[in-house]
Amino acid sequence: MMQENRSKEMILEVKDLNIAFHDHTLPETVVVDVDLQVYEGDMLGIVGESGSGKTMTALAINGLLNRHDIQKKGEITYKGVDLLTCARNELRQIQGNDISIIFQEPMTSLDPVQKIGRQVEEPLRLHEKLSEETYKERALEALRLVELPSPEEIYERYPHELSGGQRQRVMIAAAMICKPRILIADEPTTALDVTIQEQIVELLKKLNQNEKTAILFISHDLSLVRKLCSKVAVMKDGYVVEAGDTEEIFRNPRHAYTKELIAAIPAIGVKEYEKKSDEIIVSARNLNSYYPARTGKLFGKRKKVQILKDVSFDLYKGEILGLVGESGCGKSTLSKVLLGMVKDTEGSFVNKDAHPQMVFQDPYGSLNPGKTIGWILQEPLRNFTDLSDTICEEKARNMLKRVGLSEELMDRYPNQLSGGQRQRVCIGAALMAEPGFLIADEPVSALDVHIQEQVLSLLKELHDQIGVSILFISHDLRVVYRVCDRVMIMKEGRIIESGVTDEVFLHPKEEYTRQLLRTSGFLDENVV
Amino acid sequence: MIQFLKLRKNFKAGAVIAGILLFMALLSLFWTPYDPEKMDAAHKLAGLSLAHPMGCDNFGRDILSRVMTGLRTTVVIAVGTVLIGAFFGSIVGSLTGYFGGSFDEIVMRINDVLLAFPAVLLALVMVSLLGGGKYNVILALGIAFVPSFARMVRGEFLRCKDLDYVKNARLQGAGHMRVIFVHILPNVMPVILSSVLIGFNNAVLAEAGMSYLGIGVQPPDASLGRMLSEAQGYLYGAPWYALFPGLILVLLILGVSLMGNE
Repeated sequence: MMQENRSKEMILEVKDLNIAFHDHTLPETVVVDVDLQVYEGDMLGIVGESGSGKTMTALAINGLLNRHDIQKKGEITYKGVDLLTCARNELRQIQGNDISIIFQEPMTSLDPVQKIGRQVEEPLRLHEKLSEETYKERALEALRLVELPSPEEIYERYPHELSGGQRQRVMIAAAMICKPRILIADEPTTALDVTIQEQIVELLKKLNQNEKTAILFISHDLSLVRKLCSKVAVMKDGYVVEAGDTEEIFRNPRHAYTKELIAAIPAIGVKEYEKKSDEIIVSARNLNSYYPARTGKLFGKRKKVQILKDVSFDLYKGEILGLVGESGCGKSTLSKVLLGMVKDTEGSFVNKDAHPQMVFQDPYGSLNPGKTIGWILQEPLRNFTDLSDTICEEKARNMLKRVGLSEELMDRYPNQLSGGQRQRVCIGAALMAEPGFLIADEPVSALDVHIQEQVLSLLKELHDQIGVSILFISHDLRVVYRVCDRVMIMKEGRIIESGVTDEVFLHPKEEYTRQLLRTSGFLDENVV
Repeated sequence: MIQFLKLRKNFKAGAVIAGILLFMALLSLFWTPYDPEKMDAAHKLAGLSLAHPMGCDNFGRDILSRVMTGLRTTVVIAVGTVLIGAFFGSIVGSLTGYFGGSFDEIVMRINDVLLAFPAVLLALVMVSLLGGGKYNVILALGIAFVPSFARMVRGEFLRCKDLDYVKNARLQGAGHMRVIFVHILPNVMPVILSSVLIGFNNAVLAEAGMSYLGIGVQPPDASLGRMLSEAQGYLYGAPWYALFPGLILVLLILGVSLMGNE
C-alpha cells in the first residue's frame, strides 16, 4: 500500500502546522506541529474527538482561517504554492476549484433563497468563464454524478424542498463541479440518518475511485474511517499522535489513545445472557401515543400525529433493556409515557416502582444551575423521606464517593464541573432514593469517547450493586451492546425487533437492524 | 477584557452616583440643613449662597432641605412601586408560565388589556378613584407595574419549564409549588433583578409625572416632581428652583440605569 503511494504524485503537503487563537489573554494552541501528505487519488482519514484540532486543520488547508486573531505557522504546499502565505487572489483560484470542502450540517450550508442549480454552478462561475448553457450542463452533470434522481427537477428546486441526504448530495455536487483534486469532507455524515449515512459514504467511495479525487475524510468515527480510508491520521489535543496505513494501525496501534479508540469498538458474540429474575417491573401492552399537530388555525379540528404504535414489552427486575432507534423514532416519547408525562395515550402499562427516575442526555441542562451539588443530591430524600438533614447530607456524601467524585464537590455549583462529572452527579441523584426503575435517555451521547467509557462502567457497576432495572435508550449500538442484557429496535414508533443482545446483534432479522449494525461497524470483518 | 473593565466602570460610576443620592435621602430622616417646611419671608426666592447652597423657594423654604426630603419621598414611592409590581408580577408570571393552558390564556389576556394602557395613565385613573397621597400613589403605580413583570417572568418560566432539570425535579418528587418557587424562580432572579432596576427608573419618572400633574404627593410633602411643578412659575426669576430638583432626578435615573446595564 505504502509502496503504491510513493509512485503516485504528492499533491498536498502540510508541514509543521501550528494554529493558535488570540482572543484570550493567553494564546490557545489548537493545532501543534501537524504533518500530513495527500497523494493523488488518496483517501486519507483524520480521526479525533471534538476539540482535537481536526476541523481547524481542514479549514487551514482550505484557507478559511484568515481572521487576524488566529496565528498560523508552518507550511501548506499545494502545487508549489504555500497556502498560508500566498496572495488572496492566488488562494481564491485554488479554493473551490482545486480544493473544495463539504461540511457536517447540510441543513445550514445551503443558501435558502437560491435555487439548487444556481448554488451548484456558483463555484464554476467564479473560476471559469463559460456560456450559460454550459454552466447548466455542467451543473446537471454534477447532480447526476452524485446520483440525485431527476437532476433537471432538482436544478429548479429550493433547499427546503429537499431532504437532509439530498442536500448533502447537492453540497457534494457543488464541491465536485470544478473537478477538484482534493475534497475535504468534514464529518459529512454525522448529521444524517443511518440509512442515508451509508449511501453518502458509498458515494464518496465512488467519487474517489471514478473521478480520482483525493478525499480528506474527517470524522470522530473510527470504524467508518476504517471502512473508507486507506490511510489515517489520529489526532488528540492538537497533535497527530499516530498516522499511517489504516489496516496497519488497526492491527498494531502504538499510541495509547489509538488503542483506547480501537478498544471502544466492541467485539460481539462474547456476552453471556442469564435471566436476572422472573419478576416484571414494568410491563407495557399496546401503547399508542399521540401528539397534537399544529394546524395554524384558532378554531377547527385539531389533528393528531401518532408517535407510538402498538408498543408492548416487559422489563424484568434487575436487567438493562436497550431501546435503539434513530432520532425522531419515538424513543423519548416512550420514556415520557412510562413516566406519566404524556397524557394522550392508549393501551396500558404497569409500573411497579412508585418513583421511577431518569438520567437525561444533556448533563448541562439536567442539573439546576442555581443549586449546589449537595443540595441537588439531597432533593429526592427531602421529597420522598422524612430523614433528618444530617442523615441526608451523610447519604449525599456517600453517593458522591460511590459515583467516583470527591466530597469537596458538595458545595460546588454545576457550572464548575465538567460534562463527565455532571453526568456522574445526575446518575447519583437518580439513585439517591433507591428506585426500582431507571430510564437512561442517551446518558453518554453528549460526552467524549473516553469519558463515555468511564460513565458506562460506573452505570454498570452501580447497577450490579443495587439491582435497579434500567431502560437504556440510545442511538449508539456500541454503547447499547456494552451495557444491555436485551435490546429492542424501534423504527417509526414501532418496535420492529427485540431479543437477547447477542441474538439480535449476530442474527438480525430485519433489514433495518442490519443497516443500523453495518453503520456502527458491526456485521463487518472485525466481528469475532 | 477591555470590555469587561468598561462594564465594571459603568457599574461603579452608577453605584457611586446612586449611593450618594441614597445617602442624601437617608440623611434627611435625621438631619436637614433647615426644616424643609419652615417658611421664611426674608429669604423668598433667595439665590445661591453659602447659607442656602441651592437657594430658596417662593415661600423662603431651603431648597436643599426640600430636595433631600423630596428625594426620600420619590425613592420610597419608587421602591414600593417596584416591589409590589415585582412581587405580584412574579407570582402571576410564574403560575401562568408554569401551568399554561386555559388558565394562562385568560390571565394573560387580562394582562394584555392592562398592558395596552400606559402604566401612568392606569395609575392616574386609580389615584383619581382612591385619592392622592403617598401610599395611594405607591398602590396605584404598583398595580400598574404588575403586568409588565408578569409578562417577563412568564416568558422566563416558559423557557425553563421544559428544561431537563425541571423534569428531573418532578421525578424526584417535588410538588408543583416546590418546582416553581424552589427550583425555577431562583434561576429567574437575575432577570427579575435587572428589570427591577429598570422598573425603578420608570417608577421614579411616573411618580414625578403624577406629582407634577398635582395628583401625586400632596403639599406640604415634598417630592421632586411636586417641586418641579411648583417651580414652573418662577423659571425666569429663580431658575435654581427648577434646576436642582430636575438635576437630582436626572442623576438618580442615570445612576440606576448605569447599574442596570450590567
